[in-house]
Amino acid sequence: MIRLSHVTKLYGTVIGVNDVTVELGAGAHGLLGPNGAGKTTFIGLVTGQLRPSMGRVEVFGAPPFGNDRVLRRLGFCPASDITERRATALEWVRYLVRLSGFTAADAAARAERTLEQVGLDEAARRPLGTLSKGMRQRAKLAGAIAHEPDLLVLDEPFDGLDPVARHDLVGLVRTWARSRSLLVASHLLHEVEALHADLAVILGGRLVASGSPGEIRHLIDALPTEIRVTCDDPRRLARQLAGDSACVGIRLEGEQGVVIATRAPETIAALVATAAEEGLAVSALVPADRSLEGLFARLVGLHRGVAP
Amino acid sequence: MTGLRATLAAARAVAGFQLARLCTPARLGLAALGMLFPAVVLLAIRRSTTGPLERSFGAVVLYALVPEAVCMLGLLMTMCPAVADELERGTWVHVATRPGGRRALVLGTFIAAVTWTTAVGLGAVLLAVLAGGMTDPWGLIAMFAALVVLSCVGRAALFALPAVVLPSRALVASVGVAVVVEYLAGFLPAVINQATVSLRLRSLLVHWMGWRQRMPPQLRLIVDPQPVWVQCAAVVVLAIVFLTVAIMILERRQFPPSEEG
Repeated sequence: MIRLSHVTKLYGTVIGVNDVTVELGAGAHGLLGPNGAGKTTFIGLVTGQLRPSMGRVEVFGAPPFGNDRVLRRLGFCPASDITERRATALEWVRYLVRLSGFTAADAAARAERTLEQVGLDEAARRPLGTLSKGMRQRAKLAGAIAHEPDLLVLDEPFDGLDPVARHDLVGLVRTWARSRSLLVASHLLHEVEALHADLAVILGGRLVASGSPGEIRHLIDALPTEIRVTCDDPRRLARQLAGDSACVGIRLEGEQGVVIATRAPETIAALVATAAEEGLAVSALVPADRSLEGLFARLVGLHRGVAP
Repeated sequence: MTGLRATLAAARAVAGFQLARLCTPARLGLAALGMLFPAVVLLAIRRSTTGPLERSFGAVVLYALVPEAVCMLGLLMTMCPAVADELERGTWVHVATRPGGRRALVLGTFIAAVTWTTAVGLGAVLLAVLAGGMTDPWGLIAMFAALVVLSCVGRAALFALPAVVLPSRALVASVGVAVVVEYLAGFLPAVINQATVSLRLRSLLVHWMGWRQRMPPQLRLIVDPQPVWVQCAAVVVLAIVFLTVAIMILERRQFPPSEEG
C-alpha cells in the first residue's frame, strides 16, 4: 500500500526524512516519533503534498504527488486545527467532498451522513468557531472520510483533546480501521497502541524500527532497562550495586537520585529492598525510561548498534 | 466524476466557498466604498462645472476610475491571496491532498475574484454614470460593463501568477506586475504591449467612443486598430494562458510544513 525506497526529503539544508525505506501493507499503522522527528514530512510525502528529494514514494503502486488517481483514494486529516470559523461543520465537510470531485447533491448527502457517523449531526449546522476542539476534530475527521477513501492518514489526531473526546475519537478511528487502511502519526505511544496498529518509529528523520507492537517490545526488551531510585544516600546505594552482575551501568542524578541500567530489573529491585532493610531511606523506585523519549533513545541505541 | 468535469465541479465549490469568505462586514464595506468612490468623484467634478459632464471627458474619468482603479484594487484583494490565504488559514493541506485540488483552487479563486470584482465594478459604473449625468447613459453603462468584465477576466488571470509564484509576497508582486506589465509595457509602442490587457481595454474604449480618427498620430501608437472581436478574443486568450501557467506552477509547488498555518 505504502512503499518508500531510500527516500530523503531536504528543505534546503535541513533534513526532513533521511534515507527511509519502509513498506506498509494494508491495515492500521502508527507512525511514532517525538516532535520534530520527521513525521509530518513523512505524511506530506505519502499524501502527495511533498516530492522526495531522493528516492521513490509509492502509494497504491504510484507516486502520490500530483497523481489524482492516488489522491482520490486518500483521506487526510492534518494536525492543524480548522481555522475556518464562520463556515458550519456541514458546509466545511460538503466543501471538502466537492473538492474531491463529487456533485453538490452527492456531497451534501455524504457530508450529512458522515457527520452523523462521527456524532456531529446535531452540531452540523453550527459555525465551526462555536464548536469545541473535540467537535472540530470530529468535523475534520468527517471531512477526511466522507468521500470514502481506501487509506485514511491522520496527523496527531488526538492533540489537545480532553480524555473523553480522545476516547471517543479513538473509538471512531478504530471502527474505521476495521474495514479500511489507516496511517496515524503520533508522538504518544499509548494512542497508537489503542488503535491496535503496527508501528513505525521515526527519529531525526530516520526510521529506527518498524513492526508489530509485540516485535517492537521484543526489540526493546533485548536492551537494558533503566531504573531510577530516589533515596537519602544515592552514593552508598551506587557503591552497593556497582559490584553486582545485574547492574550494567550506573549514574548519579541530582542530590537523591541514582539511575541503574539493567537486564534484570527484578534483581535490582530486590537489591534495593535489601539496602532499604539495612537502613537506606528509599522514597521511589521507578523505570526511568517509560516515557516515549526513553523508548526512542533505546531504539536509537539499537539502530546504531550501541546500548543506551 | 472524473477529469475536466470533476475539476470544474471542484472549482465551482472553491468559488462558492471563497465568495462566502468574502462576505464579511469589512469586505462588504470596502466593496460599497469601491462602488461609491467613482460616483463621488464624478459628482464632485460635475458640481465644479455647469450642466452635465461632457461625454468624452466623463468616459475618460470613468475609464481611469473603474476598469483601471476599482477593478485593479478589487482583484488585488481577491485574487492575490489565492494561495497565501490557504497557507495562512492552514487549509492548503486540505486542497493539496484532493484530486485536482490545486487546479480547482486557481480556477475557483479566479471565478470568485472575477464575480466579486465585476459586481463591484458594475455597481460603480451604474452609480457613476448616473451621478455624472452624461448623455446616452445606457450606452455608456453597456460599454463600461463590457470593459469591466474584460478587465476583471484578464487581470484576475494575470494576478494568478504572482499569487502562485510568490504567495507570501503576492500583493507586492502583483502591484509590481500591474505597474511593469500593465502600465509600462502596456504603453510601449512595441510588440510587447500586445500581451497586455490594458492595450485591449484602451483600444476598445477608443473604438467604442469613436476617438481614433480624432487622435493625434503619436497617440494612435498606443491603441490597437484591430476589430472589437480581436480585442475581446485577445483578453480571453491571455487569461487562458496566464491561468494555465499559474496552474502548472502550483501543481509543482511544495510548501514545507513550516510555511503553513
